[in-house]
Amino acid sequence: MSYLVHLDVFEGPFDLLLHLIERDELDIYDIPIAKVTAEFLEYISTMQLLNLHVASDFMVMAATLIQIKARMLLPKPVVCEEETVLAEEEDPRQELVERLIEYKKFKELAIDLRAREEEFARVFVRPLPEAADRLVIEENPLKDLSVWDLLEAFKNVLDSLAPEEEPVVAPKEEISIRQRMKEIIAGLAVSGRIRFRDLFGNTNSKAALVTGFMALLELMRLRKVRVSQDMTFGEIMIAAAVEEGASE
Amino acid sequence: MNLLQARAVIEALIFASPEPIGVPQLCDYTGLSKHTVQQILNDLGEEYRKEHRGLQMIEVAKGYQICTHPFCAPYVEKLQKNPRSTGLSQAAMETLAIIGYKQPITRAEIEVLRGVRVDSALNTLLEKDLIREAGRKDTPGRPILYGTTRAFLKYFGLKELSDLPGIDQWLQEEILREKNNEDAGDDGDAGDGGSSSDDSDANNAVEQ
Repeated sequence: MSYLVHLDVFEGPFDLLLHLIERDELDIYDIPIAKVTAEFLEYISTMQLLNLHVASDFMVMAATLIQIKARMLLPKPVVCEEETVLAEEEDPRQELVERLIEYKKFKELAIDLRAREEEFARVFVRPLPEAADRLVIEENPLKDLSVWDLLEAFKNVLDSLAPEEEPVVAPKEEISIRQRMKEIIAGLAVSGRIRFRDLFGNTNSKAALVTGFMALLELMRLRKVRVSQDMTFGEIMIAAAVEEGASE
Repeated sequence: MNLLQARAVIEALIFASPEPIGVPQLCDYTGLSKHTVQQILNDLGEEYRKEHRGLQMIEVAKGYQICTHPFCAPYVEKLQKNPRSTGLSQAAMETLAIIGYKQPITRAEIEVLRGVRVDSALNTLLEKDLIREAGRKDTPGRPILYGTTRAFLKYFGLKELSDLPGIDQWLQEEILREKNNEDAGDDGDAGDGGSSSDDSDANNAVEQ
C-alpha cells in the first residue's frame, strides 16, 4: 500500500463508541444514534479495507446500533395518553448508554490502576525467595559429626571397593632372527619336516611373523633347510637340508 | 527489651521477611502489645520519611514492607537482572479493574461489561497470579467466579481492597444505583442483597 492510515487501537466496540462520543463531544445521555452508527460503520469498513480482522464483537455492536436506529425511526404507536408516556420513557438507547457508562467507569478505574502500577514499578523490594531460604535454619543432617567421621566413612567406602587391578603390561616380544633360526632347526631335529603353516602357528605379532619368515629365508640361503611345494597353492613343507646333503 | 531495641527488632523483622509482615505477626514474634508495635511502626515510617533515606517503609497487603524509594528507581533498575516486564496490556488492565471492583465476578459478567471476550486477558492475569478462582456462582452452569489475590495488592502497592483508587466514590455510586433500583422496581431488594454478600465474599477472599 502506498499510503498509511492511522487507526487507534480500540479494546472493543465500547471503547470505539466512547472514542467517537468523546471525540465529537457528544452527550452520552443523548447520543445522536444515526451519526454514531454511521461513524461506527465507517470505522469497521476502514478495518476491512485494511484487511484487518474485524472481531465479531464489533459486528454485534454495529447490529445493535442499527437496531436502535431503526427503533428510533419507527413511529410510536399512540394508543392512549398513559402508554405514550411509558413509551417515551423507554428510550431504545437506554440499555446501550447504561453499558457505555459502566464501561467508561471501569476504563477510568483502569487508568487509575495503571498509574499505581507505574508508581509501584519504581519501588523495589528485596528479591527473595532464594535469599530467604538461606535465612531458614534447617535441621542439620550432619549434626554431631566430625570431619574424622567423614574420613572414616570415606575409608570404608574405599575399602569396600574391589582392589583395582594393575593393568598388565605386555612385554614386547623380542625375537631375534637368530633365535628363530635355532627354533626352526630344533623343530626339524625333532619332527624332520615342518609345515610352513605351523611355523607361525602360535604367533600373532607381526614382528614374530616377519622374523620367522626372515629366519626361514636365512636358513634357505645358508642351505640349512629345504623348502618344497608339491602343487601350486599346496602345502609348503620345510625339511632339514642335512638329509639332502647326506643323500647327495 | 527497651523501646529502642524493640524498634530495631521490628525493623529487622520487616527487612528480613520475604513477604509484607502484619502487625499480628510482629506482636507474636516480639511479644509486644499491638499498641506498642503500631506506635513503633509509625515512628519507623516517619523516620524513613524524614531522613530522606533510599529506603522507605510501606504498608501493603495488610503488612509492612521495606522497599526502595521511587526516587532511586533509575539507579536500582540497573541492578535488576529481570526487569519488571512492561505493564499489563490495556485489555488485561480493564479486565483486572472490573474484577478488582466487582469481585467475585464470572467471566460472562466481565464480558458484558467490556463488550469483548476476555479469555486471553483472564489467562494473563491468572498466570501473573493477580487473580484467582474464587468459587463458583450458584447459577446454571455454576460458572467460575474470579477474585483478586494478595499478589494483586502487592502489585499495586495497596494496603487492602478498600485502598483501591476511587473506591469510596465507586461505592457511593454503587449504593446510589442500588437505591435507584430499589426505588425503580421490586427487584431492588434481591439485587441489593446479592451484591452486598458479594462484597463480603471478596473481602474474605483477600484475607485468606
